[in-house]
Amino acid sequence: MDTSTKAESGAKPYWNPYLAGVLLGLTLLATFVIAGQGLGATALPKRLLALIGLGVAPEWTASNPSLQGYVAGGVNPLRNWLVVEVVGVFLGGFIGAVSAGRFRSTVEKGPRIGVRGRLAYAFAGGVIMGFAAALARGCTSGQALSGGATLATGSWLFMLMVFAGGYSVAYFVRRQWT
Amino acid sequence: MSAGIFPLVFSSDEVMLLTAIGLGFLFGFSLERGGFGNARKLAAQFYLYDMTVFKVMFTAILVAMVGLYTLQGLGLMDLSRLWINETFVWAQLVGGFLLGVGFIMSGLCPGTSVVSAASGRWDAVVTFVGIFVGTAVFAVVVDLFPSLNALYHGGSMGVSLLHEIFGVPPLVFALGVLVMAGAGFVGAEKVERIFAAKYRAVELTPPSRPRVKYTLVGTFAVVALLGLGIRPGTPGLPPVQVASIAPLSLAEAIIGKRPGMMILDLRADAADADKRIPGSYPASTPEEAKGLLAVAPTGGSVVLVDEEGAMREIPADWRRDVRYEWLQDGFLGWEVRVLTPALPGDTQEDREWAARQGQISAYFSGAAVQAVDVAAPPPMAGAGGEKPKKKGGC
Repeated sequence: MDTSTKAESGAKPYWNPYLAGVLLGLTLLATFVIAGQGLGATALPKRLLALIGLGVAPEWTASNPSLQGYVAGGVNPLRNWLVVEVVGVFLGGFIGAVSAGRFRSTVEKGPRIGVRGRLAYAFAGGVIMGFAAALARGCTSGQALSGGATLATGSWLFMLMVFAGGYSVAYFVRRQWT
Repeated sequence: MSAGIFPLVFSSDEVMLLTAIGLGFLFGFSLERGGFGNARKLAAQFYLYDMTVFKVMFTAILVAMVGLYTLQGLGLMDLSRLWINETFVWAQLVGGFLLGVGFIMSGLCPGTSVVSAASGRWDAVVTFVGIFVGTAVFAVVVDLFPSLNALYHGGSMGVSLLHEIFGVPPLVFALGVLVMAGAGFVGAEKVERIFAAKYRAVELTPPSRPRVKYTLVGTFAVVALLGLGIRPGTPGLPPVQVASIAPLSLAEAIIGKRPGMMILDLRADAADADKRIPGSYPASTPEEAKGLLAVAPTGGSVVLVDEEGAMREIPADWRRDVRYEWLQDGFLGWEVRVLTPALPGDTQEDREWAARQGQISAYFSGAAVQAVDVAAPPPMAGAGGEKPKKKGGC
């Protein structure tokens, strides 16, 4: 893998952020209109965990506060709109990156940190986010974006706290990025 | 609101799941092209030299929010069929803060880690594996520690919407968010310029032309304002016609067992059956009223009883295929005109009327109150029959 930190040459520029926002918003609106719910991302890891739990420890899974909702009624936890949607997100991201000339096997990082250090941070951050999204019943997509658009109270509290959490810790991890 | 063609209803789960691929694709594609597949660009939000996250996210929220509530205002969107995140104040405050901490450590959030992994970034693959591990850790520890389980359920408010808390129509609230976001966008551009000079921006976003920004915010504002002109609820439909009914007419209708009639007692203390019009149903809360309305016969009449007959407005989300009648002077009118016997007048006509009123009064004041269909005085026809049983002093 290549660890270049230089901006990709030859890649198409990113969209204007406001236009990207409009497209994202229209996609979200279409999701409300068509599917009757918002977009999400952490449904996939949660439901995958529920499926594994069913195989390994069915009683524990069926009574677990965080997982029981996904296995009730004997349905396959992966047979779900949000799970299929995440597959679509992956495909859309892939096509988007390839068609913009941005697909590259690499590690994104600043110049002052090694690949291992960066991957360690990425893993630790992932664990914290997995825990946090399970606790809050959603992540930046499911809570902040989708819940925010419906004006759900908890989603706005969540969103404000995401920014609060990020800004309060950013100084201590700046070595990764700048 | 009972009507609304959205969200759509699908013939089968398979068709429904197919839409997930398409909408997910659009989501992933927009995120990638907006720059959300790059951890450095996302992390820059927290060092203030590239505010793309803020700009994209809030623009998206504004578009979807104004669109959603405009559709609702037009009567096209049935919010009761839309899945909306439930509020758990403490779980979401703590979870949000932790997610922000994880976000700046990995540089990605769960959704963008999928997009970033799809564009070949190994840090994103590792982040996604971490998210799975974190999800499992939560499932294990929430089972072990009752205190964490309490936090997980902490501050439960069910489906709670901000504009309802503030008591304003959704599009008024949306307009407020719009104004704040507009100011936020202007501020973000300024902050970006200051900090981009301090750090060397790793990957510059094409500068956003102010005209684009102002046009967008202006367009949303116009849409929201137009939406406000629409009556929230069931706009476009004429207001529900309400007739009024005199207490004695209602009494006659009850005695004559007028078909298709339902009497709803909207008073706060309607639960007490002894203090209610016989045959009426207590409906102190809007939910109770709507539940009872649901079983009223189509085309029938619904008589509404309040304290003094002051209210005349039918909520916009009530059924429109029944006839509404307000009881004149409400329950007070019932007490004065029906339960209290009238004084006989001088003329023959007056005396006949008083006799009939006395019959009715006796009927509703007496033991027959509990069972309407027992010993009902005969219908008005001859104004005779039973001897009026005078009660009370007048």
